[in-house]
Amino acid sequence: MSEQATTTPLERDKRQLSELYRMAAVGRLTAKIVHEINTPIGSIRSNNEVLGRMLEKLSQMVAEAVQNNTAPPAKAIDIIDTLKSLSAVDKIACDRISAVVRGLKTFARSNEGVLRKTDVNELLRDTLKLAGCEYRRRIEVVEDYGDVGEVECFPQLMNQVFLNLLVNAGQAIEGEGTVTVLTRQEDGWAHIAITDSGKGIAPENRSRIFSPGFTTKPIGEGTGLGLTITREIVVDTHQGVIEFDSEPGRGTTFHVRIPLVHHKRQTA
Amino acid sequence: MAANSQPAVMIVDDEEMVITSVRAFLRLETDYHIFGFSNPEDAAKFLETNPVDVVVSDYLMPRMNGLQLLTKAKEYQPESARVLLTGHADKQSAIQAINDVGLYQYIEKPWDNQQLLLVIQSAIERTTLLRSLREKIIALDAAHSNLKEIQAKLLRAFL
Repeated sequence: MSEQATTTPLERDKRQLSELYRMAAVGRLTAKIVHEINTPIGSIRSNNEVLGRMLEKLSQMVAEAVQNNTAPPAKAIDIIDTLKSLSAVDKIACDRISAVVRGLKTFARSNEGVLRKTDVNELLRDTLKLAGCEYRRRIEVVEDYGDVGEVECFPQLMNQVFLNLLVNAGQAIEGEGTVTVLTRQEDGWAHIAITDSGKGIAPENRSRIFSPGFTTKPIGEGTGLGLTITREIVVDTHQGVIEFDSEPGRGTTFHVRIPLVHHKRQTA
Repeated sequence: MAANSQPAVMIVDDEEMVITSVRAFLRLETDYHIFGFSNPEDAAKFLETNPVDVVVSDYLMPRMNGLQLLTKAKEYQPESARVLLTGHADKQSAIQAINDVGLYQYIEKPWDNQQLLLVIQSAIERTTLLRSLREKIIALDAAHSNLKEIQAKLLRAFL
Protein backbone atom coordinates (compact mmCIF):
# COMPACT_ATOMS: atom_id res chain seq x y z
CA MET A 1 0.00 0.00 0.00
CA SER A 2 1.40 3.42 -0.86
CA GLU A 3 2.11 6.03 1.81
CA GLN A 4 -0.47 8.36 0.27
CA ALA A 5 -3.21 5.71 0.51
CA THR A 6 -2.72 5.39 4.28
CA THR A 7 -2.92 9.15 4.83
CA THR A 8 -6.04 10.42 6.64
CA PRO A 9 -7.89 13.57 5.47
CA LEU A 10 -6.57 15.45 8.53
CA GLU A 11 -3.01 14.44 7.68
CA ARG A 12 -3.60 15.53 4.07
CA ASP A 13 -4.86 18.94 5.22
CA LYS A 14 -1.85 19.31 7.48
CA ARG A 15 0.46 18.42 4.60
CA GLN A 16 -1.26 21.01 2.40
CA LEU A 17 -0.92 23.67 5.08
CA SER A 18 2.67 22.66 5.55
CA GLU A 19 3.28 22.87 1.79
CA LEU A 20 1.75 26.37 1.66
CA TYR A 21 3.91 27.45 4.57
CA ARG A 22 6.97 25.92 2.91
CA MET A 23 6.48 27.97 -0.26
CA ALA A 24 5.75 31.09 1.81
CA ALA A 25 9.01 30.54 3.70
CA VAL A 26 10.94 30.57 0.41
CA GLY A 27 8.85 33.55 -0.70
CA ARG A 28 9.94 35.52 2.34
CA LEU A 29 13.55 34.76 1.47
CA THR A 30 13.08 35.94 -2.13
CA ALA A 31 14.51 39.44 -1.64
CA LYS A 32 17.62 37.99 -0.05
CA ILE A 33 17.95 35.27 -2.68
CA VAL A 34 17.70 37.95 -5.40
CA HIS A 35 20.44 39.93 -3.70
CA GLU A 36 22.60 36.82 -3.41
CA ILE A 37 22.25 36.15 -7.14
CA ASN A 38 22.42 39.76 -8.38
CA THR A 39 25.97 40.30 -7.16
CA PRO A 40 27.57 37.40 -9.11
CA ILE A 41 25.38 38.20 -12.14
CA GLY A 42 26.64 41.79 -12.02
CA SER A 43 30.22 40.57 -12.01
CA ILE A 44 29.71 38.07 -14.84
CA ARG A 45 27.93 40.68 -16.95
CA SER A 46 30.66 43.26 -16.40
CA ASN A 47 33.45 40.71 -16.94
CA ASN A 48 31.89 39.46 -20.15
CA GLU A 49 32.07 42.94 -21.67
CA VAL A 50 35.63 43.51 -20.46
CA LEU A 51 36.79 40.04 -21.60
CA GLY A 52 35.44 40.63 -25.12
CA ARG A 53 37.20 43.95 -25.50
CA MET A 54 40.44 42.75 -23.97
CA LEU A 55 40.52 39.73 -26.26
CA GLU A 56 40.09 42.09 -29.21
CA LYS A 57 43.06 44.17 -28.00
CA LEU A 58 45.12 41.05 -27.43
CA SER A 59 44.34 39.75 -30.93
CA GLN A 60 45.49 43.06 -32.42
CA MET A 61 48.74 42.97 -30.43
CA VAL A 62 49.47 39.39 -31.48
CA ALA A 63 48.63 40.14 -35.14
CA GLU A 64 50.96 43.18 -35.12
CA ALA A 65 53.75 41.18 -33.46
CA VAL A 66 53.39 38.42 -36.07
CA GLN A 67 53.35 40.95 -38.90
CA ASN A 68 56.46 42.75 -37.60
CA ASN A 69 58.11 39.50 -36.56
CA THR A 70 58.58 40.84 -32.99
CA ALA A 71 57.65 39.61 -29.53
CA PRO A 72 54.20 40.68 -28.23
CA PRO A 73 54.42 43.83 -26.04
CA ALA A 74 54.60 43.60 -22.23
CA LYS A 75 51.07 45.06 -22.13
CA ALA A 76 49.85 41.78 -23.63
CA ILE A 77 51.03 39.93 -20.49
CA ASP A 78 49.04 42.40 -18.31
CA ILE A 79 45.96 41.71 -20.39
CA ILE A 80 46.43 37.94 -20.08
CA ASP A 81 46.76 38.28 -16.28
CA THR A 82 43.57 40.32 -16.10
CA LEU A 83 41.76 37.82 -18.33
CA LYS A 84 42.83 35.01 -16.00
CA SER A 85 41.61 36.82 -12.88
CA LEU A 86 38.26 37.70 -14.50
CA SER A 87 37.84 34.11 -15.63
CA ALA A 88 38.49 32.95 -12.02
CA VAL A 89 35.90 35.47 -10.77
CA ASP A 90 33.37 34.14 -13.30
CA LYS A 91 33.87 30.61 -12.01
CA ILE A 92 33.30 31.68 -8.40
CA ALA A 93 30.25 33.71 -9.49
CA CYS A 94 28.76 30.75 -11.42
CA ASP A 95 29.37 28.44 -8.44
CA ARG A 96 27.56 30.89 -6.17
CA ILE A 97 24.53 31.08 -8.47
CA SER A 98 24.49 27.28 -8.93
CA ALA A 99 24.54 26.72 -5.16
CA VAL A 100 21.52 28.98 -4.60
CA VAL A 101 19.64 27.44 -7.53
CA ARG A 102 20.40 23.97 -6.19
CA GLY A 103 18.96 24.98 -2.81
CA LEU A 104 15.83 26.25 -4.58
CA LYS A 105 15.52 23.09 -6.66
CA THR A 106 15.54 20.96 -3.53
CA PHE A 107 12.56 22.99 -2.36
CA ALA A 108 10.75 22.97 -5.66
CA ARG A 109 10.63 19.17 -6.06
CA SER A 110 7.02 18.08 -5.76
CA ASN A 111 7.51 14.66 -4.20
CA GLU A 112 6.93 15.72 -0.63
CA GLY A 113 4.43 12.91 -0.12
CA VAL A 114 7.05 10.26 -0.79
CA LEU A 115 8.81 8.59 2.07
CA ARG A 116 12.33 7.72 1.03
CA LYS A 117 15.80 7.06 2.29
CA THR A 118 17.57 10.39 2.44
CA ASP A 119 21.03 11.69 3.12
CA VAL A 120 20.20 14.18 5.88
CA ASN A 121 23.65 15.79 5.69
CA GLU A 122 23.11 16.52 1.99
CA LEU A 123 19.66 17.93 2.74
CA LEU A 124 21.13 20.24 5.39
CA ARG A 125 23.90 21.41 3.04
CA ASP A 126 21.32 22.34 0.35
CA THR A 127 19.10 24.12 2.85
CA LEU A 128 22.07 26.07 4.19
CA LYS A 129 22.57 27.50 0.68
CA LEU A 130 19.19 29.20 0.98
CA ALA A 131 19.50 30.11 4.64
CA GLY A 132 22.92 31.57 3.75
CA CYS A 133 21.06 34.27 1.80
CA GLU A 134 19.51 35.34 5.11
CA TYR A 135 22.89 35.19 6.86
CA ARG A 136 24.62 37.30 4.21
CA ARG A 137 28.15 36.77 5.53
CA ARG A 138 27.40 38.37 8.90
CA ILE A 139 27.09 34.88 10.32
CA GLU A 140 29.77 32.22 10.33
CA VAL A 141 28.41 28.74 9.70
CA VAL A 142 30.13 25.78 11.36
CA GLU A 143 29.19 22.44 9.81
CA ASP A 144 29.92 19.32 11.83
CA TYR A 145 28.43 16.36 9.99
CA GLY A 146 28.61 12.91 11.51
CA ASP A 147 28.15 9.59 9.75
CA VAL A 148 24.36 9.52 10.01
CA GLY A 149 23.79 7.26 7.01
CA GLU A 150 20.44 7.28 5.23
CA VAL A 151 17.34 8.27 7.11
CA GLU A 152 13.87 7.20 6.02
CA CYS A 153 11.86 10.41 5.98
CA PHE A 154 9.80 12.84 3.92
CA PRO A 155 12.73 14.90 2.57
CA GLN A 156 10.67 17.94 1.56
CA LEU A 157 9.15 18.16 5.01
CA MET A 158 12.48 17.73 6.75
CA ASN A 159 13.89 20.34 4.40
CA GLN A 160 11.26 22.71 5.70
CA VAL A 161 12.14 21.85 9.30
CA PHE A 162 15.77 22.71 8.62
CA LEU A 163 14.95 25.94 6.77
CA ASN A 164 12.68 27.12 9.60
CA LEU A 165 15.28 26.38 12.25
CA LEU A 166 18.17 27.86 10.24
CA VAL A 167 16.30 31.07 9.35
CA ASN A 168 15.17 31.44 12.99
CA ALA A 169 18.78 30.90 14.11
CA GLY A 170 19.97 33.66 11.76
CA GLN A 171 17.23 36.05 12.87
CA ALA A 172 18.05 35.42 16.54
CA ILE A 173 21.52 36.86 15.95
CA GLU A 174 21.71 40.64 15.90
CA GLY A 175 24.86 41.65 14.02
CA GLU A 176 27.55 39.02 13.77
CA GLY A 177 27.52 35.53 15.21
CA THR A 178 27.77 31.82 14.60
CA VAL A 179 25.35 29.10 13.59
CA THR A 180 26.51 25.54 14.17
CA VAL A 181 24.95 22.57 12.43
CA LEU A 182 25.72 19.17 13.90
CA THR A 183 24.52 15.70 12.90
CA ARG A 184 25.06 12.38 14.67
CA GLN A 185 23.64 8.87 14.62
CA GLU A 186 22.48 7.73 18.07
CA ASP A 187 21.05 4.23 18.64
CA GLY A 188 18.79 4.05 15.61
CA TRP A 189 18.05 7.79 15.60
CA ALA A 190 19.38 10.70 13.58
CA HIS A 191 20.21 13.65 15.80
CA ILE A 192 20.37 17.09 14.18
CA ALA A 193 21.35 20.05 16.36
CA ILE A 194 21.19 23.67 15.17
CA THR A 195 22.83 26.17 17.52
CA ASP A 196 22.89 29.95 17.25
CA SER A 197 24.89 32.47 19.26
CA GLY A 198 21.89 34.82 19.34
CA LYS A 199 19.75 36.49 21.94
CA GLY A 200 18.15 33.30 23.31
CA ILE A 201 14.52 32.62 24.18
CA ALA A 202 13.14 34.52 27.17
CA PRO A 203 12.06 32.13 29.98
CA GLU A 204 8.45 33.42 29.87
CA ASN A 205 8.18 32.49 26.17
CA ARG A 206 9.62 28.98 26.34
CA SER A 207 6.35 27.16 26.95
CA ARG A 208 4.67 28.98 24.05
CA ILE A 209 7.15 28.82 21.16
CA PHE A 210 5.48 25.79 19.54
CA SER A 211 1.96 27.24 19.94
CA PRO A 212 0.21 28.37 16.74
CA GLY A 213 0.23 32.13 16.28
CA PHE A 214 2.96 32.83 18.83
CA THR A 215 5.78 34.99 17.49
CA THR A 216 8.26 37.51 18.84
CA LYS A 217 9.18 38.70 15.34
CA PRO A 218 7.99 42.06 13.99
CA ILE A 219 4.63 42.24 12.21
CA GLY A 220 5.00 40.98 8.65
CA GLU A 221 8.11 38.96 9.44
CA GLY A 222 6.75 36.17 11.60
CA THR A 223 3.56 34.17 11.06
CA GLY A 224 3.74 32.31 14.34
CA LEU A 225 3.37 29.06 12.40
CA GLY A 226 6.99 28.15 11.69
CA LEU A 227 7.77 26.24 14.89
CA THR A 228 4.24 24.80 15.09
CA ILE A 229 4.64 23.22 11.66
CA THR A 230 8.21 22.23 12.47
CA ARG A 231 7.02 20.40 15.59
CA GLU A 232 4.19 18.68 13.68
CA ILE A 233 6.56 17.46 10.98
CA VAL A 234 9.07 16.12 13.48
CA VAL A 235 6.72 14.72 16.12
CA ASP A 236 3.50 13.79 14.26
CA THR A 237 4.83 12.86 10.82
CA HIS A 238 8.16 11.32 11.77
CA GLN A 239 7.48 10.19 15.36
CA GLY A 240 10.51 12.17 16.35
CA VAL A 241 11.43 14.55 19.14
CA ILE A 242 12.18 18.27 19.09
CA GLU A 243 13.69 19.99 22.12
CA PHE A 244 15.70 23.13 22.80
CA ASP A 245 18.20 24.56 25.26
CA SER A 246 18.37 28.31 25.51
CA GLU A 247 20.18 30.89 27.55
CA PRO A 248 19.24 34.57 27.14
CA GLY A 249 22.14 36.49 25.65
CA ARG A 250 24.11 33.30 24.88
CA GLY A 251 22.00 31.51 22.26
CA THR A 252 19.75 28.56 21.56
CA THR A 253 20.18 24.97 20.38
CA PHE A 254 17.32 23.08 18.76
CA HIS A 255 17.70 19.29 18.88
CA VAL A 256 15.75 17.30 16.32
CA ARG A 257 15.74 13.51 16.62
CA ILE A 258 14.03 11.25 14.11
CA PRO A 259 14.17 7.46 13.83
CA LEU A 260 16.39 6.14 11.03
CA VAL A 261 13.52 3.86 9.96
CA HIS A 262 10.10 5.49 9.72
CA HIS A 263 7.52 4.23 12.23
CA LYS A 264 5.17 2.99 9.48
CA ARG A 265 7.88 0.61 8.33
CA GLN A 266 8.84 -0.34 11.89
CA THR A 267 5.29 -1.42 12.73
CA ALA A 268 4.62 -3.10 9.39
CA MET B 1 41.94 65.15 -6.83
CA ALA B 2 45.28 66.88 -6.38
CA ALA B 3 46.47 69.21 -9.13
CA ASN B 4 47.81 67.35 -12.20
CA SER B 5 46.81 63.97 -10.80
CA GLN B 6 44.24 61.47 -12.00
CA PRO B 7 40.83 61.20 -10.34
CA ALA B 8 40.61 58.79 -7.41
CA VAL B 9 37.71 56.34 -7.19
CA MET B 10 36.99 54.17 -4.15
CA ILE B 11 35.08 50.90 -4.57
CA VAL B 12 33.81 49.24 -1.38
CA ASP B 13 32.12 45.84 -1.47
CA ASP B 14 32.49 42.86 0.82
CA GLU B 15 32.41 40.73 -2.34
CA GLU B 16 35.91 40.71 -3.82
CA MET B 17 34.39 39.68 -7.16
CA VAL B 18 32.66 43.06 -7.52
CA ILE B 19 35.88 44.96 -6.79
CA THR B 20 37.81 42.83 -9.31
CA SER B 21 35.17 43.32 -12.02
CA VAL B 22 34.71 47.07 -11.55
CA ARG B 23 38.46 47.62 -11.27
CA ALA B 24 39.13 45.69 -14.50
CA PHE B 25 36.47 47.67 -16.33
CA LEU B 26 37.64 51.07 -15.06
CA ARG B 27 41.26 50.21 -15.89
CA LEU B 28 40.21 49.35 -19.41
CA GLU B 29 38.22 52.54 -19.88
CA THR B 30 40.02 55.14 -17.75
CA ASP B 31 43.28 56.08 -16.10
CA TYR B 32 41.69 56.69 -12.68
CA HIS B 33 43.37 55.67 -9.46
CA ILE B 34 41.20 52.89 -8.09
CA PHE B 35 41.13 51.97 -4.42
CA GLY B 36 39.23 48.77 -3.65
CA PHE B 37 38.20 47.75 -0.13
CA SER B 38 36.32 44.63 0.95
CA ASN B 39 36.24 45.83 4.55
CA PRO B 40 34.20 49.06 5.02
CA GLU B 41 36.01 49.88 8.27
CA ASP B 42 39.35 49.95 6.44
CA ALA B 43 37.72 52.11 3.75
CA ALA B 44 36.50 54.61 6.39
CA LYS B 45 40.00 54.78 7.89
CA PHE B 46 41.49 55.41 4.43
CA LEU B 47 39.02 58.25 3.85
CA GLU B 48 40.18 60.07 6.99
CA THR B 49 43.49 61.01 5.36
CA ASN B 50 43.27 60.27 1.63
CA PRO B 51 41.17 62.42 -0.67
CA VAL B 52 39.04 60.61 -3.25
CA ASP B 53 36.65 61.99 -5.85
CA VAL B 54 33.96 59.31 -5.68
CA VAL B 55 33.05 56.60 -3.17
CA VAL B 56 31.06 53.72 -4.69
CA SER B 57 29.77 51.47 -1.92
CA ASP B 58 27.69 48.33 -1.51
CA TYR B 59 24.84 48.53 1.02
CA LEU B 60 24.72 45.22 2.90
CA MET B 61 28.14 44.56 4.42
CA PRO B 62 29.21 43.04 7.73
CA ARG B 63 30.28 45.33 10.60
CA MET B 64 29.41 48.57 8.78
CA ASN B 65 26.71 49.00 6.14
CA GLY B 66 26.96 51.23 3.10
CA LEU B 67 24.95 54.07 4.65
CA GLN B 68 27.20 54.14 7.72
CA LEU B 69 30.29 54.20 5.49
CA LEU B 70 28.89 56.97 3.27
CA THR B 71 27.99 58.99 6.37
CA LYS B 72 31.67 58.79 7.38
CA ALA B 73 32.69 59.72 3.82
CA LYS B 74 30.42 62.78 4.01
CA GLU B 75 31.95 63.75 7.34
CA TYR B 76 35.59 63.37 6.21
CA GLN B 77 35.23 64.53 2.61
CA PRO B 78 31.98 66.46 2.11
CA GLU B 79 32.83 67.35 -1.50
CA SER B 80 33.44 63.83 -2.77
CA ALA B 81 30.44 62.20 -4.46
CA ARG B 82 28.72 59.22 -2.83
CA VAL B 83 27.25 56.39 -4.89
CA LEU B 84 25.42 53.30 -3.60
CA LEU B 85 25.82 50.16 -5.76
CA THR B 86 23.54 47.57 -4.28
CA GLY B 87 21.59 44.38 -4.88
CA HIS B 88 19.45 45.23 -1.87
CA ALA B 89 17.00 47.43 -3.74
CA ASP B 90 14.42 48.45 -1.18
CA LYS B 91 12.78 51.84 -1.26
CA GLN B 92 13.45 52.60 2.38
CA SER B 93 17.25 52.28 2.15
CA ALA B 94 17.23 54.35 -1.07
CA ILE B 95 15.23 57.17 0.55
CA GLN B 96 17.39 57.07 3.67
CA ALA B 97 20.53 57.18 1.53
CA ILE B 98 19.33 60.20 -0.41
CA ASN B 99 18.15 62.09 2.68
CA ASP B 100 20.85 61.21 5.19
CA VAL B 101 24.06 61.03 3.20
CA GLY B 102 23.27 63.31 0.26
CA LEU B 103 23.62 60.43 -2.16
CA TYR B 104 24.69 61.33 -5.69
CA GLN B 105 23.36 58.16 -7.36
CA TYR B 106 21.74 54.85 -6.43
CA ILE B 107 22.65 51.99 -8.78
CA GLU B 108 21.16 48.53 -8.61
CA LYS B 109 23.02 45.26 -9.14
CA PRO B 110 23.42 43.71 -11.64
CA TRP B 111 24.88 46.96 -12.88
CA ASP B 112 25.46 48.15 -16.42
CA ASN B 113 29.10 49.10 -17.01
CA GLN B 114 28.33 52.05 -19.29
CA GLN B 115 25.81 53.47 -16.82
CA LEU B 116 28.28 53.02 -13.96
CA LEU B 117 31.00 54.77 -15.96
CA LEU B 118 28.71 57.70 -16.82
CA VAL B 119 27.75 58.08 -13.16
CA ILE B 120 31.40 57.97 -12.03
CA GLN B 121 32.47 60.45 -14.72
CA SER B 122 29.75 62.95 -13.87
CA ALA B 123 30.39 62.44 -10.15
CA ILE B 124 34.07 63.31 -10.66
CA GLU B 125 33.07 66.41 -12.63
CA ARG B 126 30.76 67.45 -9.79
CA THR B 127 33.47 66.90 -7.16
CA THR B 128 35.98 68.89 -9.24
CA LEU B 129 33.50 71.75 -9.61
CA LEU B 130 32.71 71.75 -5.88
CA ARG B 131 36.41 71.81 -5.01
CA SER B 132 37.08 74.57 -7.49
CA LEU B 133 34.11 76.51 -6.09
CA ARG B 134 35.50 76.11 -2.56
CA GLU B 135 38.93 77.34 -3.71
CA LYS B 136 37.32 80.32 -5.41
CA ILE B 137 35.30 81.14 -2.30
CA ILE B 138 38.48 80.98 -0.21
CA ALA B 139 40.28 83.20 -2.74
CA LEU B 140 37.33 85.58 -2.75
CA ASP B 141 37.33 85.69 1.05
CA ALA B 142 41.07 86.41 1.04
CA ALA B 143 40.62 89.14 -1.59
CA HIS B 144 37.76 90.60 0.43
CA SER B 145 39.92 90.67 3.58
CA ASN B 146 42.76 92.29 1.62
CA LEU B 147 40.39 94.87 0.24
CA LYS B 148 39.13 95.65 3.74
CA GLU B 149 42.70 96.06 4.98
CA ILE B 150 43.56 98.35 2.07
CA GLN B 151 40.38 100.32 2.68
CA ALA B 152 41.31 100.68 6.37
CA LYS B 153 44.84 101.79 5.45
CA LEU B 154 43.48 104.32 2.97
CA LEU B 155 41.08 105.70 5.54
CA ARG B 156 43.91 105.97 8.07
CA ALA B 157 46.14 107.71 5.48
CA PHE B 158 43.51 110.31 4.57
CA LEU B 159 42.09 110.98 8.03
